[in-house]
Amino acid sequence: MLSYWRQYLAISPFYLIFIAFSFFPVFYSLYLAFQRWDGMGTMQFVGLQQFRFLWSDPVFWLSIRNTLVIWVLSTVPTLFGALVLATLLHSVRRFKGFYRIALYVPNVTSIVAVAIFFGAVFSNNFGLVNAILGTVGISPVPWLSNPWLIKVVIALLMTWMWTGYNMIIYLAGLQAIPTSIYEAAKMDGAGPVRTFFQITVPIMRPIILFTVIISTINGLQSFSEPQVLFANNAANANLGGPGQAGLTTLLYFYQSAFLNNDYGYGAAIVWAFFVLILVLVAINWRITRGGRKS
Amino acid sequence: MDLSRRGFLQAAALTAAASGLTVACGSGSGSSGTKNGKNLTLWYWGGALSDKVVAEARTHFSSEAKLTVSSIGGDFKQKLTTTLAAGTSVPDITGIKGEDMASFLPNAGRFLDLNDLGFKKISSQYLDWKTKLAQTTDGKQVGFPIDIGPTALFYRADLFAKAGLPTDPDKVAAQAKTWEDYFALGTELKKKVPGTYLVNNISSVFTMTVGQGTQRFIDKNNHFIGDQDHIRTAWTTAVRPYTLGLDARINDNTWNAAIGKSLTTELGAAWHALDIEQAAPGTKGKWRVCAMPGGPANQGGSYLALPKQCRNPEEAFKIISWILSPANDARGFTDAAIFPAAPAAYAMPAMTGPDAFFGGQKIIEVFGPAAKAIPDSYEAPADAAVMAPYMTELTNIEAKGKKPDDAWKDAVSQAKQIARRQGVN
Repeated sequence: MLSYWRQYLAISPFYLIFIAFSFFPVFYSLYLAFQRWDGMGTMQFVGLQQFRFLWSDPVFWLSIRNTLVIWVLSTVPTLFGALVLATLLHSVRRFKGFYRIALYVPNVTSIVAVAIFFGAVFSNNFGLVNAILGTVGISPVPWLSNPWLIKVVIALLMTWMWTGYNMIIYLAGLQAIPTSIYEAAKMDGAGPVRTFFQITVPIMRPIILFTVIISTINGLQSFSEPQVLFANNAANANLGGPGQAGLTTLLYFYQSAFLNNDYGYGAAIVWAFFVLILVLVAINWRITRGGRKS
Repeated sequence: MDLSRRGFLQAAALTAAASGLTVACGSGSGSSGTKNGKNLTLWYWGGALSDKVVAEARTHFSSEAKLTVSSIGGDFKQKLTTTLAAGTSVPDITGIKGEDMASFLPNAGRFLDLNDLGFKKISSQYLDWKTKLAQTTDGKQVGFPIDIGPTALFYRADLFAKAGLPTDPDKVAAQAKTWEDYFALGTELKKKVPGTYLVNNISSVFTMTVGQGTQRFIDKNNHFIGDQDHIRTAWTTAVRPYTLGLDARINDNTWNAAIGKSLTTELGAAWHALDIEQAAPGTKGKWRVCAMPGGPANQGGSYLALPKQCRNPEEAFKIISWILSPANDARGFTDAAIFPAAPAAYAMPAMTGPDAFFGGQKIIEVFGPAAKAIPDSYEAPADAAVMAPYMTELTNIEAKGKKPDDAWKDAVSQAKQIARRQGVN
């Protein structure tokens, strides 16, 4: 082992940076969850008090509900749309590169820019969508004040951002499927829809499961979207939009720790959320295993 | 991986050099630097001070100190908190936003007491209520007032004329003396000019009505008083325009689109004039300003403070008292719409000129008296956090049609919980 010290030294920068900027803060936040701290003054040990507050905090539970609803509303259309797009793209012959880039561009666009754009497009009073609806005689839809529509807009934004990303992964998977299988299906008289559901989807299963897990991680971390859509300022401190319908758990954590200077409570929120993510990962894992057995 | 000896040595040397460089940078600007007192750093955010005055201060004091100015973007409070907690690379002079001051006061030990440096002698030049908001209960002065945000009623004189209402600021102020008068005027206005609203949302009315009082959500003995009459009255007042149909219910980012079109009046601080001007340049000359119904409140306005690590407190205090002297304060108003906290500035030519956007009105005649009439109030460190649920519930009324009484109950119980979490009893 010691004879490899050069190699260990060569890879050490990553680990040193990781320990300083990821490993240490993670466990420091666990320590903070048991303290009351305003960021500068002396810390005060309060035991499980923060978690007791959390348990009886309706806003925390609201934020969990919001996060899960937004996650489902965005993940399902994202993954389904990505798979459909990947299949279509797989079969086109010309301008392949162009389509790939065009569909991937939303993912590399600044999330802040996209959120500002969506805010303008879906604005209640002066938005593009309501203007178009107006021309066909539909009265304005309160996109950014109705609790459900707020979630739909945020989910739509995330779908817009992540469909292209997943599509690229699916496309790679599709290209690994031997064409002979499709040819055989065609010979047996299977149409495109049937081929999609009975050949493409089953073969792609492991790749789909991978994207489900990636999307779970991304979807549960939604923060910037509502943060930018419902920006706060000195005159308007309410985050997450009207009725806090767009308040995700991470946004609530940010609000508690960094706006209210309540770092201990913020740490408690993220650790409780971490437990929830563990549960969701366990469910994912069971589904994966169940699939393998059958 | 096979690494040649030479390649490895090169890589190692580069890494070492890079880390050495980082270390050098870290200590160079930190507190471990030499305490020669010649170098001073100043942190503020864009628009907090007049850039011209700051640039002049650099040359004015160049023989005594080298002033390095950094304009800090993003979340200023967050960056300052982190730096103060870390204790290195702390600026010698820093800005603090008015709304953040209360949350810094419990850690007043991190700052120098400006009274020790001579602020006591000149404090009478600045508005008393503003100075007090940056004072600890035992009289330690943390912040040197930069500017304030006295509020007033902005209104569209052309639309008022269309509705056959008075357009002269004094007459409008007389007719909208109380909140009820103001709402009555709005009802009249809406009847004559359909499709317009009086207020952009009721949360802004609530902010103003709370600010008109001497008490907020937590009292000096650290008791929660957000369920008492003064807040209840402010709440009821705020809900009125909603029930009367005068509320435009703008809670998203579309205020700037509405301001030139469907809003007939706007409640806001002096600095808000610039927002209106930028959002609706086409309405130039049509706006006027008059005293706000029910009296003025304050919104925003900032301070300069000297962290404990300040390398040359005497010199730093000399610089900030020069930058914020009434004469330079008045220039801040011309350069960046910063409304001075020094009343002497209100009589200076820089501030008494007519404003073309307001049809040539001398707006200082409204904001000057308002600034002096703002009530003394106590703002607790947890005040902003405790206020948030009221704002949320007011948006619930607007967005979901929640019953105002239910919203009030939920707001109070939520506020109580946040107060308890923050150590308020």
